[in-house]
Formats: sequence, structure tokens, C-alpha cells
Amino acid sequence: MASFKQKLVYFLSAIALLMFPWFIQNDYWLRVAIMIGLYIILASSLNLINGYTGQFNIGHAGFYCIGAYTAAILATRYHFSFWLLLPLSGIVAALFSILIGLATLRLKGIYFSMTTLGFSEIIRLTVLNWASLTRGPMGIPGIPLPELFGFHLASNRHFYYIVLALTGIMLFLSKRVISSRIGRAWIAIREDEDAARAMGVETFRYKLYNLIFGTFWAGVAGCFYAFFTSFISADSFTLDEGFSILAMVLVGGQGNLIGPVIGAASLTILPEIFRNMAQLRLVIFGAAILIMIYLRPQGLAGSSILSQKYHYPKIQRHSPPKHQGQQEVSP
Amino acid sequence: MFWLQQIFNGITQGSIYALMAIGYSIILGIIGLVTFVHGEVIMIGAFAGFFMVTFLKANFFLAVLAGFAASWLLGIIIERVCYRPFRSGPREIALIATIGLSILLRSLSQVTFGTEQKLMPDLLNSHFIPLGQIRITNIQLLIIFTVFILALLLHQFFYKTKTGIALRAVSMNKQAAALLGVHVNRTILLGNALGCALGGVSGVLLGIYYNSVHPVMGASVAMKAFTATVFGGIGSIPGAALGGILLGIFENLGVAIFSSGYRDIISFSILILILLIRPQGILGRKELER
Amino acid sequence: MSKKRLILALTIIFSIAGSVLAAPAGTVKIGLSAPITGNLAEYGENFKYSVLMAADKINANGGIRGRKLVVDIQDSKGDPKEAALIAQKFVQDQEILATIGEFSSTSSLAAAPIYERYGLVQLSPTASHPDFAKAGQYMFGIIGTQDAEGPFNAKYIAKKYLKLKSVAAIYVNNDWGLVTKDRFIEAARGEGIKVTSQQPFFETEKDFNAVLTKIRATNPEGIFIAAMYNEAALICRQIKKLGWNVKLMAPSSVFSEKLLEIGGEAVEGLATNTFFALTDPDPKVQVYINEFRKRAGRNPNLHAASAYDSALLLAEAIRKAGFNRKAIRDQLAQTKNFPGITGKITFTPVGDVVRKYKILVVENGQWVVKKDYTQ
Repeated sequence: MASFKQKLVYFLSAIALLMFPWFIQNDYWLRVAIMIGLYIILASSLNLINGYTGQFNIGHAGFYCIGAYTAAILATRYHFSFWLLLPLSGIVAALFSILIGLATLRLKGIYFSMTTLGFSEIIRLTVLNWASLTRGPMGIPGIPLPELFGFHLASNRHFYYIVLALTGIMLFLSKRVISSRIGRAWIAIREDEDAARAMGVETFRYKLYNLIFGTFWAGVAGCFYAFFTSFISADSFTLDEGFSILAMVLVGGQGNLIGPVIGAASLTILPEIFRNMAQLRLVIFGAAILIMIYLRPQGLAGSSILSQKYHYPKIQRHSPPKHQGQQEVSP
Repeated sequence: MFWLQQIFNGITQGSIYALMAIGYSIILGIIGLVTFVHGEVIMIGAFAGFFMVTFLKANFFLAVLAGFAASWLLGIIIERVCYRPFRSGPREIALIATIGLSILLRSLSQVTFGTEQKLMPDLLNSHFIPLGQIRITNIQLLIIFTVFILALLLHQFFYKTKTGIALRAVSMNKQAAALLGVHVNRTILLGNALGCALGGVSGVLLGIYYNSVHPVMGASVAMKAFTATVFGGIGSIPGAALGGILLGIFENLGVAIFSSGYRDIISFSILILILLIRPQGILGRKELER
Repeated sequence: MSKKRLILALTIIFSIAGSVLAAPAGTVKIGLSAPITGNLAEYGENFKYSVLMAADKINANGGIRGRKLVVDIQDSKGDPKEAALIAQKFVQDQEILATIGEFSSTSSLAAAPIYERYGLVQLSPTASHPDFAKAGQYMFGIIGTQDAEGPFNAKYIAKKYLKLKSVAAIYVNNDWGLVTKDRFIEAARGEGIKVTSQQPFFETEKDFNAVLTKIRATNPEGIFIAAMYNEAALICRQIKKLGWNVKLMAPSSVFSEKLLEIGGEAVEGLATNTFFALTDPDPKVQVYINEFRKRAGRNPNLHAASAYDSALLLAEAIRKAGFNRKAIRDQLAQTKNFPGITGKITFTPVGDVVRKYKILVVENGQWVVKKDYTQ
């Protein structure tokens, strides 16, 4: 149970976040804040998969893409409402993940990663090729504004509150799930899958639940993105996009809920600060990632007590950290 | 005839993939990690070859050697920057370090080499060698020949020399190798440098085959290298070579049968299918499967 | 400990960034949103050189209404998401009166709703997507859409100049490539030319052997290469290496020194069109070309010239309309026969430009203008 002091901190930060648009009378930074919210959802959902069951999904952008295109197609052609599409996009993304999961979750480490990477590219290229459904490389423009009680939500302030609510719901549900039976099963799988299985955890089933839950939120994020920008094209869902979501998780620190939040915030703000550096911008950005990793290898918000696995005796300098051998060839 | 031509084009392209995949496979074995910086390794190798050819008017052999040397050095730097400091921590850290270094190297080379695509001059007058009804250029033959020779040399190195055996031992089991007196740190450094150097050579070959080098050329081909490695089976050099060549052939046949827009969809789909049927890859070791 | 320090550091960085952004008084600011880094950096660089050159030229002549013209350059990495963010930044900054950008149509379209909502001109030197200028009152494109270029290529280049009876198309699979190919193919069919094959490829691809072998099997007389100059040069080289003798033609995007450099002998005979030629005797064109060469160390291409015209066009509109975003937009929409280095510019009601094309052919490693076929 959270102590009174913790509750106070939560309460005050909630107030601060709610008041944020009124403090900052600048639509640009408000938009940056919205992008941070979007990436918090994406990074946190990836963290659920990578950080809590130790799977290594590197193609998260594929699920994000499915969510965005589901929303865009249904909204422009069949006039579905934003509020219906939010869960619907998540469900469609999750359905794809069941397909992927049933086939590949039995694969270990790198093979699972390779499949997610391949999947992400297959989705993007299918979007580019299937022009009758997705308009191919032309992208989908003119996604209508969300409506609430007959009122058009157009301003950045509205979108800020939507993404704030989504992020809040997402983190709250994640916290509940992680502290439930399911979440403990995930952590058990991450720590030692064989031991977990020996203890009677149906690892495959729980891994599938995990994948469904994580990708559902990627789909929701995609839907939000589609309505927020009102124009989407396959350019936004490249492998690099998946890698940068991954970078947010790792820079922030995976395996806890606050890490990806901090990672998403810092990796979204940093390039904005360096924007004036012209062609050196990405050089500095790359260097900044390296420096952050050197200063805090466990991630900006990572703590080493979370996982026993990460305690290695310092004396074994010449030995690999984990169980040895070829079996552990994995990312 | 049409099909033979497509298959032969696939073999040429595939042999470059094969070389990349062999390098990638060595790194994957020895580090135990996916690397995201391999595309930049390939690019730096290609630029080393490019500078050799344009400024020093070097021949094919020297260009390949320059690519090998430059990427070897880069491999040492990568090991020092991305892997060694984090050896005792969780492996994800080294991974993010490779992402950071990749962004850094790619944008730094855009700043220093310029953002434009560069012309790699023809090193020999390209002419056709008629072989039945299909047309083969001497450059294609040279590339296939180079890769073949390198693959043979590597095979000898890994199975006949002490260092090669040490490399294989370390990639199988670091602790056991250390107990048997293998200098693990040095071997890891060597393995990473060698894997990168092969990436550099394939960069030069790419540059020569397509007459162009570009600071952003690496990313997409590195993905192909990764794919080909998994295709053939991790930890197997003949597997990686076979994986690369098959990938090249599949890509070309994919274009021939369907539309060229479906090229990568087909190769990725085949990859996923193979993983489902034979998770350890075509020639991978059986014990990998769990 | 380090979290507090991190917050402190971030605060400091923010305040510095904030103070840097405030521009001195007595200036006129325009925004430039372009891919300065990332995969498209090469194209963004052309924009940067040309727009800064235009600004220097205007300032040397006393600026705009006595004020100095300042260009705020923002890097979008060629990412639509970042282009939209830059749009937000520009519309927020009240000193910015108009903007130039984006390079690609997808980025321009992603940013369009924001510019439109807040009322700030987005003038793209290169976006030729037919939907772009239609995306709003504040969107202008000066490269000329494919609605006009496609029929020109089909009628004058394919039919009259190359006298093709059949043609195949290879195109880059992005919005620009697709539209360019579609408009050309439609027009070519209208001219009675047989279309044998249409094959896409992806932007980062280097190996065209498979596609070309496939197209070759359909045996067209000519091939239409809808690609940027880099890829077009590689495609021509690989055509040559296949030993395939086919007539080459391409849209105006290939007009660049780079094509000659990379393509070498393989691009000999390639026919395209342009409305900007290095051999144009007009002194202001020659001054521009010399200055560009001095700064960038290479000859300008169509994109660069178009970016230069965009900047001059905006400056002219600001001079006439004053320092008001809406007035600038209205002024810009009325532009008639503006003497740019790419020819006379007049906006259509939606905000496009109809261009006068000339046939341009590679002969003996040089771009040569063919006059006879267009009249």
C-alpha cells in the first residue's frame, strides 16, 4: 500500500500534469508533450513485453502501424467514431499478435526477435503495396477530428488531455496486472523460464497474454496518432521507429513502470533541444545516448534490485553474465 | 533462360549477403548479441575502399584490403565502446550502446564525407562472358570468386588454426574456454574485429557492384545480413553463407514471380516459415532448439 | 542523486534554448523546414544553400522594407512526424511570417493541417503531389504537379522525340513516384503508346537487376524511370550492364550533375524535361549558378533552383503585403509572372504552378536542351 507521502506525490503530480497546458501557453511545447505521451504509451507497452517476460520484441512499430491504419481506414471510409476506434485498433493489433504469438512464442530469444522484425517490415511493405485498401505510398489524409458530445476536439489542449488520460489508464492497468497473478507469472518467466514451468506456470499461455496486452496498447497509440496528425503514411512506421521506441525503453530502464516514461520523455525532448544544431543534431543525439548509458547503465530510472538476474559477482571478469553457451545467443 | 538469369543475379547478390552474414554470425556467436551498428561497419568499409580507389587509384585487391582494415579498426573501437564496459551487466545495455553508436557514426559520416551519394569508379572494364544463354559480367564473377575464396580461407582458419579454434570455443562457452586457458577478452576482441572486417569487405563489394557508396547505405543491407544469418543458422559459417545465397535467390525470384514491391515481403515470409519449421535455421546446430 | 541533477540540467538547457530562440528586433523571419540530417539529407542541403543565398542577396539589397531577412532553419530528418512538430513550432513563433518546406510530399502533407489551422504559408519547392496544394489555402507548391508534366513527357518526349511505340515504367514506391508514373502512363496510353510493364522499387534499394530483367522480358522500346537522380543513375548503369539497348527517359527529377557523374556513359541519350537549365543565358540564372557553385562546390539542380525561387517569391510577397501572415498569403496567391530563375511563376487558384517544359537530353556527357520538339 502506498504511504501517505507517496499518495501526496501522486496527487500533486497529477494536479501538475492537469494544469500543464495552462502554465505553458505555447502550442509547440504542448505538442511535444503530446508526443511524449504517445511515446510513453508505446515504450511502456514494449516494456511490458521486453521488460516483464524477457521476450525481445524489436518490431513494435508493426503493431503501432496496424493500429494507426485500422483507425485511419475505418474512420475515413466508414466514419467510425474515435472513441470506438481506440479499443478497436488495439484489438486488431492484438489479434495480429495472437497470430504471431501462436506461431513464434515457442521460439527463443533471437528467433522471436527476428520474427518480430520481419513482421514489422512485412506490415509496412504490405501497407505500401496494398493500395486499394491503404492508398499505398499516398498515405491517408483527412482523418476527421474526434468528437465528444457533438463538440469537435481540435486543439492541442484537447489532445493533451486525451493522451494524458490514455497514459494514465494504461499505466494504472499495467500496474494492476503486474501485481496480479498474471504479472507475477510474467516476472517468473523473465527470471527463469524453465523454473517457472517447473513451478506449474503455463509459460506459453502467459507469454501470449503478455504479448496481447502489450500490443493492444501499441494499437491504441496508433489510433491516437492517426487522429492527432490527421494524415498517416507508411513512412512513420519504419524499423527505425521501432528501434527508437526500443531505445526509449532501454535508456529509461526496463522492467519497471517508470523507466520507459522517463526514457520516452528524455528521448523525445533531447532531439527538440538539439534541433538548432543543424547537421550535427543526430551526432549529438547518438553521443547523448552513449553518455546516458555510461552514466546509468541500468537506465535513467532503473534500479538494480528489480531483478536478481542482474547481480553478477565482479570477480568473474572473463566469464559471461548468464548461463553459458550457445543457447544464450540472443539479443 | 529468364529464370537462370534471375537465379544467377540472385547468386551474385546473395554472395555479398553471404559474406555479410558470415561476419554477422561470428559477431553474434562471440558477443552473444544482436548488433545494430553493423550497417555502419559496412558503410565505413565501403568508404575506405572508395577513398583507396579515387585518391590512390588502387586496384580491386587494395580496395578490398582497405575495407577490411578500416572495419577491423572500427570493430576494435566498437568492442571497447559498446561491449567491454558492459560485459558484467545485462545484455540489453550493450545493445542500446550499439544503437547510439550507429546513429552517431551514420550522422558523423554524413557530416564528414558529405551527404551525397558517391560514384565508385569501375575497377575493370565490364564485359560479358556468355555462358549458354545467360549474360554474366566479369564483375559478377569477380565478386563471387572473392567471396568464395574468403569463405574457404575462413573455414580453414576456424578449423585448422589455434586462434580459430579458440574463437569457436569462446562462442560456445566462455567459461569453459577460460578454464582451458583461452584468453577470452582478447579472443572476443579478435572475433568482433574479424566479423566487422568481413562486413567492411562486403561493403567494398557492394560499392563496386552498384558503383556507389553512400553514408546511409548500411541500414537496409545490415538487416539483410541479420536475416541471412538467422536463415542459415546461427553459429554455422557454411550456414550463414548458404543463408546469404538463398536470400539473394529468393529475392530475385520473388521479383520475377510477383511484383518487385513484394521482394522483401517474400524473403521475410520465407524466413518466418523456415523458423517455424526449423527454428535453428537451415544448417544450425540442433542443440539450439529448445 | 542523478535524477535531481538531470532535472536541473534539463531546466538549464531549456532556458538556454529559450533565450537563443528570441530573435533581435528589426528583422523579418521566415522558416525553412527541411531534412538536414537523415536519409534525405542530401536534398535538404540543396534547400539550405539556396534559401540562405536568396536571403543574403535580399539583405545585400537593403532587406525587406528596411528589415533584415532571417531564415530559421529546422531539421525534420525527412520524418513526417517531425515536420508536423516543426510546423507547430513555426506557427507558434509570431515572428515567422511564412515558411518554405517540406522536401517530400508526405512530410508537407503531414504538416499541412497545422499550417492551415493557424494560418501560415507553407511554400514547398519540391512537393508535386496533386493533393498538396489542395490541402489548404495556405499551401503552395512551385515545382508544378505531375498533372502537367506527365502529359508533356508522354506527348513530346515519348512520342515525338523518342518515337516510342511501347514503353515500360520503373518507379520509386513513394507518393511522388507513384503519381509521376500514373500520370505518365495515363498520358502515354492516350497517345497510343503500348505500356508493357510497371514495376515499383523501394527507396533504399540498390539492386535493380531482377526488376530490369523482368521488364526486359516484356520487350519495350523505351523505359520511363521515375526516380531521383541517384537511383536513376544506378538504374541506367545496371541497364547497361545487362547489355540491354533501350531508350531511356525520366521525369525532371533526374536533372542534376550527379546523374552525369554517377551514370557516366550509361545515361547517354537519356531524355527528360526541365524548366531550369544551366545553359540558360539569362544573367540572373548565371549569377545564381556561379554563386551556388562557389558555396556548395557543385552545380545546382532543379530542387536547389526551385528552393531559391521559393525564397525570392516569399520575400517579394512580404515586401508587397507587409508583415502580416494573412496578407502575405493573399499576396502570394495573386502572384503573376514572377520572374524566377526557373521561369515565370503564376499560381493557379489552388496554389500550383503550371510550368513550361523543355526537352533535355544527355549528349556526350552534357545536358543539352532540345528546342525543336516542343512547339
